[in-house]
Amino acid sequence: MLAALGLMTVFSAHAEWGRQVLWVVLGACAYAAAASFDYRRLRSLALGLYAGMILILLAVHLVGHTALGARRWLSVAGFPLEPSELSKLLLVIVLAAYLSRGERPSGLMSWRSFGGALLLVAPPACLILTQPDLGTTIVFVGVLFGMLFLAGASAWQLFSLVFAGGVALPVLPYLLHGYQRRRLEVFLDPTLDPLGAGYNLMQARIAVGSGGLFGQGWLHGLQGQLGFVPERATDFVFAIFAEQFGLFGSLVLLAIFGTLLVRLLRTAAISSDRFGHLLAGGVFVMVLVQVVENVGMNIGVLPIAGIPLPLISYGGSATISMLAALGIVQSVAMRRRTVDEPVAELGTITRRAQA
Amino acid sequence: MRLVAAAAVAVLVIGGLAIKLAYLQVTDGAKLAGMARDNTLHRIVLEADRGIIYDRHGTPLVANSPIWNLEVMRAGLPFEARARTAELAELARLTGEPEEKIAATLVAADAYAGVRIGPDLSQVQQLAINERLPDLPGVLIVQRAVRTYVDPLVFSHVVGYVGPLNDAELKRLRPLGYQPGEVVGKVGIEAGLETSLRGQDGWAEVEVDARGQIVRTVDRQAPVPGNSVYLSLDLDLQRATSQTLAAGLVRDRKTAGASVVVDPRTREVLALVSIPGYDTNLFTHGISKADYSKLLNDPDRPLLNRAIAGQYAPGSTFKMVTATAGLQEGKINANTLLGCPPYMNVNGWIFHNWANYNLGQMNVAKALATSCDTFFYQVAAMVGDVTLAKYARSFGFGQAQQIEMPGAMPGLVPDRIWKALECGVSDLNSDACRWNTGDTITFGIGQSYLLTTPLNQAVYVAALANGGQTMRPTLIHQVRDPSGRTIQSLHPEVTGSVPASPANLMAVREGMRQEINPPYNMNYWFRASGVPADGGGKTGTAQWGGSGLDLPTHAWFVFFAPYAQPEVAMSVFVERGELSEVQAAPIAVQLMRFYRDHVAAIRS
Repeated sequence: MLAALGLMTVFSAHAEWGRQVLWVVLGACAYAAAASFDYRRLRSLALGLYAGMILILLAVHLVGHTALGARRWLSVAGFPLEPSELSKLLLVIVLAAYLSRGERPSGLMSWRSFGGALLLVAPPACLILTQPDLGTTIVFVGVLFGMLFLAGASAWQLFSLVFAGGVALPVLPYLLHGYQRRRLEVFLDPTLDPLGAGYNLMQARIAVGSGGLFGQGWLHGLQGQLGFVPERATDFVFAIFAEQFGLFGSLVLLAIFGTLLVRLLRTAAISSDRFGHLLAGGVFVMVLVQVVENVGMNIGVLPIAGIPLPLISYGGSATISMLAALGIVQSVAMRRRTVDEPVAELGTITRRAQA
Repeated sequence: MRLVAAAAVAVLVIGGLAIKLAYLQVTDGAKLAGMARDNTLHRIVLEADRGIIYDRHGTPLVANSPIWNLEVMRAGLPFEARARTAELAELARLTGEPEEKIAATLVAADAYAGVRIGPDLSQVQQLAINERLPDLPGVLIVQRAVRTYVDPLVFSHVVGYVGPLNDAELKRLRPLGYQPGEVVGKVGIEAGLETSLRGQDGWAEVEVDARGQIVRTVDRQAPVPGNSVYLSLDLDLQRATSQTLAAGLVRDRKTAGASVVVDPRTREVLALVSIPGYDTNLFTHGISKADYSKLLNDPDRPLLNRAIAGQYAPGSTFKMVTATAGLQEGKINANTLLGCPPYMNVNGWIFHNWANYNLGQMNVAKALATSCDTFFYQVAAMVGDVTLAKYARSFGFGQAQQIEMPGAMPGLVPDRIWKALECGVSDLNSDACRWNTGDTITFGIGQSYLLTTPLNQAVYVAALANGGQTMRPTLIHQVRDPSGRTIQSLHPEVTGSVPASPANLMAVREGMRQEINPPYNMNYWFRASGVPADGGGKTGTAQWGGSGLDLPTHAWFVFFAPYAQPEVAMSVFVERGELSEVQAAPIAVQLMRFYRDHVAAIRS
């Protein structure tokens, strides 16, 4: 259902919506495959997945394509692939595998595990930050923090992480690209440069605002249809959605995301093992961070970072990895009582997972 | 427990977003929706087509040809710094403008305004860039009309050219609704009939997308094109005049001259040529500094319209005025015989005739035909400078003609009052200020301080031809509004008449008739060209640049034809010509031959 809404919006944003249909279909297959695949076997594959993640991220640096001033793309058999999207899912799996090693269902995390998790996340995070891809790095940090919390990190451990972040923050501007630093400055005052760096932000806010209560209707909306909102099929897709469907539609969209998040948490709660618990929890954090950051930047409460709105934004890698992630969670849900029925039908599963 | 906390965080954060969203969409909604409309609605000016200038038979002398420019709208450029830099580099390559200059221009301009970058594009360049436009967000190809003149070297001094308003013009024309940067006539008819040619700009309210492409027109007011102006010029006669004069100048190794042909019955100017001309298309298509300074520094001063603004002594062509004054004032009659000695002694000063031998006793007609200087010294002395000046003015000397283009100069008619006022010395009785007899008698042969223009000469000859009426010359045959209705047509406008009896004017014309007929040498040109010597002419070789015997001269020939009912009156001027009889006169004869054949061709 989310994917259908996404299709409608992407269509209205003039992107190549035929391809997005293909991505959703491929994603559905990935979902089905992941759901029927026993998630517990992922655990033994975790080390290999981690190595693979590092490899493709390295490959991006070596042979990747450059788009919009950043090297983020790999060409696989003619299809552009954005490995940082896939890496979010891989990170969740790897962290879940690592943090569930001891199989201690309760109790606090040791400092050793805590440090190990940080060391595990650091290499891919650095590779992504230097692409540069600020958005995915933010998701990484969010997922790390959330999963450590769910895995039982102590208040001190989490506080030390926040503290480290607080220390790093003033240094961050020097590590950022010029345009990223400008985005931060402009976020603090969008009128600073309304036609340069603040342009995206202003135009997106104008689009969201002019949606009003009930929106201007599908395929209407001056801002989106006339191309004033930049990156309208990807990062700013929410602005387009809000302009067309208004506050009402936007709240419905948020409610759907809320329901999805609740389902993810429920799966975590009922999972039969710690690995499954952390997998579902990790996906929960991943979706939450992306929704919040994307909607937040679209309405101007968070700085701009290139993060897709899960399942709504145009993009093959993001759509397929997200559906695959949901498929894994579905696998967790289905196997809580060692149920091993064959997969019935795609539609049923989708409905069950997304309510 | 931790899951509950996570759920709480999720609910809080998403709830917060929802509240902010509600605030933005409902509270600020109206304001932001208004901003969305401003983003997209633009009022653009629809430029009116400038009126076309035709010759009297309806052949266009100028076209509004399309020209293309590359324009960049800053707001449409890519947001990402690298993509933006790459596009600027590409623009620099396409237009040949330095990248820093483009960037500086864009920064200074309104973000939503198209800013012209680089020189005008040819159709081929335009098409090439058009194909690349999808890769160049924010870049537009804009078409506009630019004046392209037909035969600019021949018509430059009549038609003139247009250019963007300068500050002084803008100040003057702002009350008439002119906008900064608007194109306005600078010289010639383009300037003289500016208000008629201009038309009325329209506007359109259009919806544009972020790339500046027009999506939809909301409202529009169509522009009204300017009026069509039909000049009194005959295209063929103008060309022939230009070619004949140019050929004559080349033959005699001269570089500058002018000629004006008028119809003495209707006051219409049939040809008006000043050589050298210049390429007016250079100005409308954006003249380069090098070309402009070349025009400014050319010793032949191509930008000077000699026909209306070149002021020269008329020399012997002025003798008809002296003759008219002498006859009308009763100092001589048609049969009075005066001597024509080789020189005269006036108060110890020697004044020469052109011949160093005595031509004997003669009447006024023969004196004109032989151009005897000493005869007219005597007449001028009898008439006096003040009276002679009065007759000169009655023939249009000393007045700027009210012709439909700016820049006509008056020339100068001197007399003792003028000299006293002009001498610049406080003691009016000093030698520098006092008018002397020498001034009077040289005035009588068109020298002294007397100055005229080729246009004034044509008006003067036309008055002799038509029986003594000076008419305001005109370059306009008709003006038609955009629907083709004639809103202004020719009507004769007599500005004055010469205070002379028909009989006396007849006696003067008789002298001009004799000059081009046997036994006088001037008849040779007519016989050689096969043109009947039916009319009247007068040569003039005017000294300039001080006083003395071997001064540089200008050559003149004034002419009207046919004798009984004149249809054309003309002046021919050769700058630095030494011999009017062989340098200026044959040009008029050639022109007359062309005119006769041309009129015969039109009538048949």
